Formats: sequence, structure tokens, C-alpha cells
Amino acid sequence: MPDKTITVRATRFDPERDREPRMQSYEVPFTDESMVVLDALNHVKSHIDGSLSYRWSCRMGICGSCGMMVNGTPKLTCNAFLRDYWPRPVVVQPLNNFPIIRDLVIDMDDFMHKLKSIKPWIIRKQELPLGAGEHRQSNEQIDDFRQFSECINCMLCYAACPVYGLNNEFLGPAATALARRYNLDSRDQGLKERLPVLGEAEGIWECSFVGECSVVCPKGVDPAKAIQQTKLDTTMRFVLPYGNRE
Amino acid sequence: MTTEATTEATTEVPAAPREYRWRMPANWWTRNRHYFLYTVREFTALPLALWLLWLLVEIRRAGDGPARYAPHSSTAFVVFSVVVLAFALYHSYTFLTLAGTILHFKVLDRPVPARLIVLSQFAAWAAASVVVAFVLIWFAHE
Amino acid sequence: MSEAVKPQRLALMHLFWWFMFAQGGVIAALLIPVHVLVQGILGPLGIVPVVDRHYDTWVSVLGNPLVKLYLLVLIAFPFFHFAHRLRYLLVDFGVPAAKSVPAQVVFYGGAVVVTLVTVYILLTTVPI
Repeated sequence: MPDKTITVRATRFDPERDREPRMQSYEVPFTDESMVVLDALNHVKSHIDGSLSYRWSCRMGICGSCGMMVNGTPKLTCNAFLRDYWPRPVVVQPLNNFPIIRDLVIDMDDFMHKLKSIKPWIIRKQELPLGAGEHRQSNEQIDDFRQFSECINCMLCYAACPVYGLNNEFLGPAATALARRYNLDSRDQGLKERLPVLGEAEGIWECSFVGECSVVCPKGVDPAKAIQQTKLDTTMRFVLPYGNRE
Repeated sequence: MTTEATTEATTEVPAAPREYRWRMPANWWTRNRHYFLYTVREFTALPLALWLLWLLVEIRRAGDGPARYAPHSSTAFVVFSVVVLAFALYHSYTFLTLAGTILHFKVLDRPVPARLIVLSQFAAWAAASVVVAFVLIWFAHE
Repeated sequence: MSEAVKPQRLALMHLFWWFMFAQGGVIAALLIPVHVLVQGILGPLGIVPVVDRHYDTWVSVLGNPLVKLYLLVLIAFPFFHFAHRLRYLLVDFGVPAAKSVPAQVVFYGGAVVVTLVTVYILLTTVPI
């Protein structure tokens, strides 16, 4: 009985030799129903073509490294099961909307810059003295921001967002969700410092609520919700001068 | 001589190889069912605007006097309204559903579930529609 | 990679247009369908009697200042919603010029024009 195989077509781009990306096909043995696309890529690299370049690390959906387009949808390749595609070929491409460095590796500098710009850390006007003890926080207070803290910075949401694809200046889903995570944290007092970045012209206002970011997010962060709620909260700060200032 | 050695030792830093720039395909909004429905949703603004402009014309026509007043009645107009109604319903449905995502508040320190918020929006829509329909029909009897 | 330092400040005009978009969207969502159904379909087809089918009834409601206020809200607010949406739809279709200030003037200015025209029509047709 012939061994089961699956065709993997991957983007190849050598910046020193190629002017444009091209596709290359590989036949990968499909020996185990639990195999994921990342396993197929690792098989290619280990046994067929060692020059294939891609990012990966934890292979269990928590590090956010292995995001790629799989048959046109942004996915974590460690979370994309071959059995869902077989017997059709699996087309693996680098994440949309980003510059390609090589093969399946994209340039994520823009995202890192945006992430830093929203100051993803607890900002205090004044640190509590050590003697005062730890910041106390109830479960309800954690629930306020818990969902937005689940972000693993995998950038699938940026690959899904057509606004970002059309305009790389757009702050984007994950950065806004993380800004909200800190703005809603009861320990944080940094809302005013984050507001100029969120509220600038290329910040939250560019979002037209396509919603695809939340559809593709592997962690259920719902960045679309984060952005819309930030729009509302930011507006309310001006409509109600002494009103709800989260 | 030391200075000669240092000037001899300069090397050029090779330029980084060029990255391949992303280009957004012009037909991006056709490539995915969600993108397409999103575009339809945004597009509903146009037929709705046109219909409201019609309403403005209808109001203006009241200044024509009793002899010349003629409300729009053609089949073409009814067909236009049917098409607009489809777009209007889609706009209302999507807008009020999404309102559940954006509206967030707490009652007695507990967040109100999104489903309840959406339900209240649709209830408001139903109530407003009934009231307006009633007014439009009731005042047709003189 | 060098990080360009751009001036970051709250874009109040964007905030305002978004606010108008949201208000207009609510009005449009709640009120437009019933008007289209009753005045656009049921009325012309004669299925139910509708107030704008006859001169006398239409004029009598249009003379009421509360009706005029309602019609102003019904027509003007949604146009700010439409202006915002259509402007961004152009951006989505790959027309970045739609983000420029002249484009904003055209679209939001258009909504302002519609508002003013509506006020004029409501005040001059069947004056109070």
C-alpha cells in the first residue's frame, strides 16, 4: 500500500537572487493524523530542502512565531492540521501585509515599533513603597482586561486586516488590544500617556471594523472589540468631561 | 605605520538585501466571504443616501400645491425601494449586531452580556419601526 | 532600523467624524427601513393608506414643527454616517487620496450641505 503523502507548496524568495517570490512544491509523507503544517515544513527542511526558511518555536500555539498564510488564511502553522487539507495541496505563504525578508519569513519591525509605542507595561504616576505591599486586584478587576492579555503577538490579525494591508501606518489590532489591556488594568495609571498614540489620525480611527482580525486570532483576544471600545471610550472622554475615565 | 594600517582596514558594510514589498491586490475584497460582506455593508450607505434624497424631494413636492402634487408611484420607484429596503435591512442588522461589541457597561459591578445589549438594540428597532409605521398610516386618515 | 518620531496627538477631527458616523448609523439603522417599507413600497402599491399619498394629509403633518424636527434628524444625521462610510470605502478600494483634507471637505462638507438644504426645505415647504 503506497504511503500517504501531501503536497506542500511553499513560497521561496532569495533576496539576493530572486526579483519576485515563487512557489516550490514538496511531497511530504503524511504518516500521522495529528501532523500539522509546521511538521510538514520541518520535514521539508530536515529531509528534502534545507534552504527553506521560516520561523517557529514552541510548536504548541503559545509563542506566536509560526504565523503564515495557509491556503490564503493567516494561521499558526503549529495549529493547522494536515488532515483538514488533505488530499488537496497545502499552500504556505508568508503573512500578508508584511515585507518578505526570505521565503516564509516576514519583516516584523513595524509591529515591534507599534507595540513599543503603546507602552505595554504598567505605568504608575507614583510607585507604591515596598512597605505598602503588593497591588491587590480582585478577580473581577482581572476579568476587565483578561481577554486582551491573551495576545501572543503572532501578528495573524495584521495579516488579516485589509486596512493595515492598504496602509502600513495604521496602528493595528494587536497593538490596540494590548494598549487596552493596560488601560483597563486597575494597577495602571498610564491612559493619558497611551492616548496620543491611540487617538492619532493613523491610530484607532483608521479601523473600519472589518472584524477579520478577531476571526483569525488564535487566542480569542477579539482585537476588533478592543478597537471599537477604545473608539467609544476615547470619544466619551470628550463628550463627558467629568464622566467615565477608565 | 599605524595610521596606514587603520586606513587600509576600512571595509564597506554590505547593504541589506532588498525585502520584497507587500502590494495589496486591488481585488482583495473579493478574495474572502467576510471581506466581501464587509464591502457590501459599507456600500449600503449609497442606496440609503439616494432614498433619503428621494424623501427630501417628496417633502419639497408638498410645496407644489394641491393640483400639481404627485407622490412617486411608478413601478421603477417601487423596485428601487425594494432594493433599498434589502440594503437598509442589511445595514440595520449588521450595525445593531456590532453595537453589542462596542457598547459596554456594568450594572451593579457586573458587565452586561453582549447578547443582551444586542437584544435591546433590536427591541429598540422594532419599537421605533412600529411607532413610525403607526404615525405614517394613522395620519393618512383625515 | 531607525524609528521615525512622528508627532502624536489626539486627532480631534477624526474623533468628531467618527462620533457623527456612530450617531448617524444608529438613526439610519433604527428608522430608515420602516420609512422605505411604508413610504416606498406599501404606500405606492396601495396596500395601506400612507400619509404622503395625498396632498392634504402630507401637508398637514409637514406643517407640524415636531415632524420637521424628526425629519431633520432622519435625513441629516445619516448623511454624516454615509459620508464617513463612503469616504473609507474609497480608501478600501485603493484611493488613498480619500484620506486627504480636500476629500474630507468634499464628503463631510457634502453632509453639511445636505443638512442645510434639508433645513431650508423643511422651513420653506409648508411654513409653520
